[in-house]
Formats: sequence, C-alpha cells, structure tokens
Amino acid sequence: MVAAFRRARKGGVTVTFGTDESRVLRHVLAEMLDLLGSGDDTAGSSEDPLTAAVGIGTSTSAPEDPALARLFPDGYTDDPESSADFRRYTEPGLRAAKRGALETAVATLGEPGERVVLTPEQAEAWLRALNDTRLVLGQRLGVTEQWDELIESLPDDDPRLGLFWVYDRLTYLQETLVQALWTGP
Amino acid sequence: MSQTAPVISPTEISSPEGDVELDVDLPWIVLVWNDPINTMDYVALVFRKLFGYSKEKANRLMLDVHEKGRAVVSSGPREKAEIDVFRLHEHGLWATMQHDK
Repeated sequence: MVAAFRRARKGGVTVTFGTDESRVLRHVLAEMLDLLGSGDDTAGSSEDPLTAAVGIGTSTSAPEDPALARLFPDGYTDDPESSADFRRYTEPGLRAAKRGALETAVATLGEPGERVVLTPEQAEAWLRALNDTRLVLGQRLGVTEQWDELIESLPDDDPRLGLFWVYDRLTYLQETLVQALWTGP
Repeated sequence: MSQTAPVISPTEISSPEGDVELDVDLPWIVLVWNDPINTMDYVALVFRKLFGYSKEKANRLMLDVHEKGRAVVSSGPREKAEIDVFRLHEHGLWATMQHDK
C-alpha cells in the first residue's frame, strides 16, 4: 500500500497509512522530535527565567549540526550581528512551531489501515513536518540537484540507500499533500 | 547542501535596536534562496499561502528562485520583513532579509 493524501471536504485531507509506512513515519517523526529537543540544550546556558518566559533564547549562532542549521538559518544576508539578534528573539518560537507540527503529525498518524481525516490545520502541520523531515534527511544524505544520478552510482550495499528510499517516499508523500492543498480554496 | 549563493554586500550599516528611526526610510527586501531539497511545487504553495499571491505569480517567483538562485518575495519595513523571514523559515525555506539597494 502506498499512502497518498487526498482532498477531503472543507479544505481537509484524508490519508491511509499501511503498517510499514506507519511504523517508519512514527520512527522518523520521533527522531525529528529528539533532534529538535526542547530548546534547553543551548550550550552553557542557564537562561534568565524572565527572558525564557517571553521566548528569548540564548543562541546567537546557527546550530553546529548542519541538518539543524538548515532548519534554523540566519535571518539576515551577510549580517552576523543582526542575524544573532534575530536568532535570539525568534529561534525558540521557531523551534516550538516546528515541534508542534511534528507532534500533530505523530498524533494524527492513525492506526495502520485507518483512513485518517485531517482538518486544514492538521494538514498544514503535516506539510511542515514532512518538509522539515526531508530537509534533515536530505542534509544528512548530502542531497544535491543531481541526486538522481548520485543514487544511480551507489553500490547495492551502500548504507545510504535505505535512507534515500525513506527520503524518496517522504518526497512522494509530501507531493501528494501539496497537490491536495494546491487545488483547494 | 545548496547551490553557491551569490555574495550580496549590504550597503547599510547594521543598526542597533535603538536606531530604528534611522532606517525607517530604507526598505527591506526578503530573499528566498534556491536549495536542492525543497520541491518546486512546495515552494510555490508556500508563496501562495504566506503572501496570497496568485498561482501565476507564485509560480513565476518559484521559477526565479530555481533558475536564478534567489528571488525577492516581499519587501517593507524591518518588522514586516522579519515576520516574513520567520514564516518562511517556519516552512523550511531558506530566506534572508537585507536592505534594498
């Protein structure tokens, strides 16, 4: 069974995940949530509770993990100072938003074989969750514009092949969601 | 990860928080940069969703990003540009803001 999102009434979408798909998605989404953490992992920080309460972080530079850095790019072109300020004020909120989308996806996976009906808001969360997951996987794999040729050249026992397969499936899944939402109101 | 982005040197001097009034007359532009992971359809959908652009304009901007390496997707005061950058980052697009020249 190959899952595909389809338009439903009132701007929602439906999808049915098979057993294996459900298992892989659950695993990948959980890994993403682990990767994003709770935001308390900024090195050497003991945040002022007041600034933490209003969502101001302590991080002033991009995460060292290149995959994470891709999710939290600099906000200003060639302006490290402004980027650092922007990051401090926005990264915690951005992290929370991305976590929220992933958590919504996990919560609406449904049982294997169950036809899940998603509201427009849940569909939007899936869109962002899937895309962030693809960004991380793609970053880890070193996906480039020529990645089709790259896959062709990999030997059959290359450990990246499995991850490419997951990336490919997620790409297809996201595309069906984009199509379902594109033709909406 | 992504194609080499053209280096664009900002002409403005980075102003600290207190000097907001100085750059009120200088518009800010928001750029979206090409990357090999975001799909074209997804990028166009995000432009429609975030900025209310028509399908035609969203597709045109997306093609600009894809073919030229980057495109200006919005402009305005600093505060608006920062919100736009945030929302684009929320959707996984690689966006930055800078002074318009």
